[in-house]
Amino acid sequence: MAVAQRSGRSRYRLALLILTAVTLLTLDFRGYGPLETAQSRVRDLLAPVVSALDTAFSPLEDAWTSVFSADDLRRENAELRAALDEFRTADIRGDADSAAYRRLVEATGVTYVADVERLTATVISNAVGNFDDGVITIDVGHDDGVVPGMAVVTAAGLVGLIDIVDAGRSTVESVSSPDLVIGVRLVSTGTVALGHGVAGDPSKFVLEGGLRWPETDDIGGMPEMGSAVVTAASSRYPADIPVGRVSAVETGEAVLAPSVTVDLVAETRDLGFVTVLLQPPVDDPPPAPAPPFQEVSP
Amino acid sequence: MLTALRLSLLCLGMLLLQLTLFSDVRIAGVAPELPALVAVMSGLLAGVERGSVVAFAIGLMWDLYLPTPLGLAAVSFALVAHALGAITEDLFHDTRTQMVALVFVGSAAAVTAHALLGEVLGQQGLLSESLPRIVLVSSALNALLSLLIAPVMRWALTGRLRQHANRLTSVPRPS
Repeated sequence: MAVAQRSGRSRYRLALLILTAVTLLTLDFRGYGPLETAQSRVRDLLAPVVSALDTAFSPLEDAWTSVFSADDLRRENAELRAALDEFRTADIRGDADSAAYRRLVEATGVTYVADVERLTATVISNAVGNFDDGVITIDVGHDDGVVPGMAVVTAAGLVGLIDIVDAGRSTVESVSSPDLVIGVRLVSTGTVALGHGVAGDPSKFVLEGGLRWPETDDIGGMPEMGSAVVTAASSRYPADIPVGRVSAVETGEAVLAPSVTVDLVAETRDLGFVTVLLQPPVDDPPPAPAPPFQEVSP
Repeated sequence: MLTALRLSLLCLGMLLLQLTLFSDVRIAGVAPELPALVAVMSGLLAGVERGSVVAFAIGLMWDLYLPTPLGLAAVSFALVAHALGAITEDLFHDTRTQMVALVFVGSAAAVTAHALLGEVLGQQGLLSESLPRIVLVSSALNALLSLLIAPVMRWALTGRLRQHANRLTSVPRPS
């Protein structure tokens, strides 16, 4: 009898816990403001302790790292990566300055990146768990003017977007995340498309549809291999940030619509510093250029 | 009251260790899942009722720092702690080997449940090719760390460091 009572009570308590979790999940999905503020306050409260412990544990972490990867190799790797970033940027910016790009800029009248204020941030931690590979934490927050949705870049290109902002730190969702959808422009064709990352492969980005997206048999509408991909002027984020280069185009009768695979240019792991573009995301994207023929209403 | 305070301190300490030391100290790119370890051990040591509440609490704390929705880790951990507590309630498991084995299985269940529930709720990329590696390595690390954490967990639940009964669950359970 006592066992049955205990069993019933434990089930009742579990049901209450599940109900609480479902409530929290629902509020979280709806972006309930007070809940987000409460979470941010708790993280702010713990931030100094986390920083102090991070400093205290750093010799241990360094020792661990040095056992499994030599310091020299890391330094050399960082130098090579920086040099490679410079080459990639120069290359893609060259493509983006092409005539087609200038025409698009003239048509939309938008030039975001040149005028955008920037803020350099230090990466204070990479993933803290095993399921957040593409998440990094940086040392700037809403005290520095950072808001969710701002673009985060390196010399190579787009790294990700600001996701969660606390007082003095923010988390960045990587461009390689499958959950993050970004509007991009294929420089070779001018096509604007929506793309997202690929689960398990942080170096790839896939485009599966967009404005004037080519049909399966439209060979001429396909982007050139190796052509540049940049953020679109019609997206919520600054235009003309290098994203990557086209590495594969999947087409044929087996697929409903062509998909384009892009090799991301910016490293999203093991970063030391990043730049935050202090332009809040645009809720309503800039209007598209006026069509040549106005529709006449009856 | 004192037990609640000790458990809060334990949960906070484990969370801070996960956020600092174990964000860099990894094996094969995988970190131990200390919050899952606390959840599993609370299910084993504190029983079905208290265990699931402690697991829910540590899961909720962990959720604050994860990109997944708030409540996902909490509900996953509570379910696993409840199941483990119920399964092992009337079992005698007085050896370290048994505890290590149960922590391995429980941690694997907790990590898998977190990934599965996340995918069901629309979080992409949790069920990837790397999931088996993450589950195996983090569960193995948790199983090893359970030898260190078990006395601390017992202290948090009873105020004593040593085990006085011949079963793992030396904490008196409500009747």
